[in-house]
Amino acid sequence: MAEKSYRDAIRDAMVEEMDRDPNVLIMGEDIGVYEGTFRITAGMLKKYGPKRVIDTPIAEAGMAGTAVGMAMFGLRPVVEMMTMNFAIVAADQILNHAAKVRYFSGGQVDVPMVIRGPQGAGVQLSAQHSQSFESFYAHFPGIKVAAPGTPADAKGLLKTAIRGRDPVIFLESAALYGMKGQVPDDPDFTVPFGQSRVAREGADVTIVSYSRMLQMSLQAAEKLSKEESIEAEVIDLRTLRPLDLQPAIESVRKTHRCVVVQEQWKPFGPAAEIAASITEAGFDELDAPVERVTGEDVPMPYARNLELLATPHEEHVIEAVKRVLYRS
Amino acid sequence: MEIIMPKMGDAMTEGKVIRWYKKAGEAVKKGDPLLEIETDKVNLDLEAEQDGTLGDVSAQEGQMVPVGGRLATILGAGEKSGAPAPSPAKTEPQQRRVIDKKDSIKHTTGEYAEAIEMKAPRIDRTQAQKTNVVAIPQAESSRRRSSPLARKMASSMGVSLEAIQGSGPQGRIVARDVKEFGSGAAAFRPPIGGLKPAAPQQTLEDKSIPLSTMRRTIAKRLAESTGPIPHFYLTVDYDVTNLLSLRQQLIEIEQEKISVNDFVIRAAALAIRHHPNVNASWGDEAIALHGQINIGVAVSTPEGLITPVVREADQKSLIEIANEVRALAEKAKNRKLRPEEYQSSTFTISNLGAWGIEEFTAIINPPNVAILAIGAATSQPVVIDKQVVIRDRMKITMSCDHRVVDGAAGADYLRTLRQYIEQPVRLLV
Repeated sequence: MAEKSYRDAIRDAMVEEMDRDPNVLIMGEDIGVYEGTFRITAGMLKKYGPKRVIDTPIAEAGMAGTAVGMAMFGLRPVVEMMTMNFAIVAADQILNHAAKVRYFSGGQVDVPMVIRGPQGAGVQLSAQHSQSFESFYAHFPGIKVAAPGTPADAKGLLKTAIRGRDPVIFLESAALYGMKGQVPDDPDFTVPFGQSRVAREGADVTIVSYSRMLQMSLQAAEKLSKEESIEAEVIDLRTLRPLDLQPAIESVRKTHRCVVVQEQWKPFGPAAEIAASITEAGFDELDAPVERVTGEDVPMPYARNLELLATPHEEHVIEAVKRVLYRS
Repeated sequence: MEIIMPKMGDAMTEGKVIRWYKKAGEAVKKGDPLLEIETDKVNLDLEAEQDGTLGDVSAQEGQMVPVGGRLATILGAGEKSGAPAPSPAKTEPQQRRVIDKKDSIKHTTGEYAEAIEMKAPRIDRTQAQKTNVVAIPQAESSRRRSSPLARKMASSMGVSLEAIQGSGPQGRIVARDVKEFGSGAAAFRPPIGGLKPAAPQQTLEDKSIPLSTMRRTIAKRLAESTGPIPHFYLTVDYDVTNLLSLRQQLIEIEQEKISVNDFVIRAAALAIRHHPNVNASWGDEAIALHGQINIGVAVSTPEGLITPVVREADQKSLIEIANEVRALAEKAKNRKLRPEEYQSSTFTISNLGAWGIEEFTAIINPPNVAILAIGAATSQPVVIDKQVVIRDRMKITMSCDHRVVDGAAGADYLRTLRQYIEQPVRLLV
């Protein structure tokens, strides 16, 4: 174990996997000479050379398409999007090619590639560059979607993504890059996909979340415990496809109340899918409707004060928890 | 229209055709009795529900017909007799198939939209799209709102949601309301000791008392020792001199026949209002207290015992009770009781006084938790004010289900009953 930042944990995962498997390579805009906009790839060009650390033109569709071809022929490309917002240009390559090649080839051809990069609000990147894409990608079969909420999970899930057989959308939270946490040193440490975890135990209410909202939910849970004597159980989903709701449903059987927290807009978001699934499985256990805490339904403002107003905060989670407990 | 074997009670699976009053081809009017059927409990007449001609009599006299099975048809004007169904039991599946066929035609002929609308109510989609919050229409606001968990809890506790006040938004009944209601009800204890009898309750209500750990233990251990219903018996000896004299006066004034048992029924019912815990049923999760006082009266018939029910006996006068019991007993002897006339008693009275039995014990009539066994009134020498006098005495033995009624609770009830029996003027008000 060592204390690492979320950023360094991601770099460590790539370095360890490149050391382990010569077929792993990374590509992206300004990742080599410039060492990455968010300095995730610092030192990697020097270590692995231009054949395995490839600076690309500003052409996301081309990057993704190239990676699909590489993966079909046995390489394991990891594509960095400077932000996941730029990957919208590459959506056709990702959704119509990477996600479907195995299906179209009757299972003969795998596409083991990772598209990773930061997303989300909170760092004043304005409307085009503050979006979250989990509902967009997790909607499609043929693709996996990870959204780690801790440095350890960032490392463990990325290593699983690189070693796997599937195209993976790896969603990093830009606002968590500097967050520190204990990360295992073991080069064989991985975190499997589709295994949610109980991040905090509690008996009064279940909060379901992932990525940056997991950290916010944990803080809200501490505050609820201190100020309201409400013990929240916090579930970390880790991956949204595959989506493991078993721990959340088991938790709701115990608490009978549930709040789902996501950063992006409410309509058709992951919280809707999660709330519906929990209601289907645990209808008779619920004492209140499942509440959703989400961002405001507006393009993300650049101004700091407005950005803060448009994103969910601890107070929103606390209010929602009180509502499902009929304490407001 | 078809005449089918009716279901006359939960346990009924088939019935027997005793006799046809009408023949096939005969004209019938709405209300005419068509045939007599026999169930396990009663005989009764089935009446025509419309004017027409009796056709296709498919069940013969003496034949057993399953519930829902066809007995005959009534043909309206212009209707022709169809081929009788080969077997009455097959009528229902045939009807289903007809419906299925209709649906499949809709699908295959491309009338898909219409086929769907047949199954789903129309939804104004433009309205639904305007807002992403689904509002409950005002018209439905009389419905009790409750959370799924609250409903599950209430159902497992045997508690009716009607009795619970909701504390959630718009009066939604939530888990804590059910819990609080449950613990409040569990705190109910029958009055024990004290000279002052329990006050009568003006209105009783349906209510459920969740089982406490102690109550579960009592129930389990007593049941283990003496079978499904752990009985115990309390015998009292009441002075009925006043009651017998009042009865004589009433008969002379009203010119109505009123039996001692009618007095006991009214007295027992009025006493229950002071002690609702004897007007109850045992359940695995909760004890159900009944909001109505329905007194089952054991009636002997040549076939055996049946207990027709005097409903809300505490609301009825002595004369009303007398007339009702007489009519019910007559029906019972002729096997003409309808299910609603012998079901859902909450308390039972058995009287062997007319047989000269002075004292006996009765077996509880489930799901009741108590039964009174009434003996004969006899003249006895009694010491009053140091004088030996002759008084009329009557012994009553109460059998109690110990899972619900403890000894002191039963004794309390009998003490209140004594006041009504020994001061029978109370029965006139």
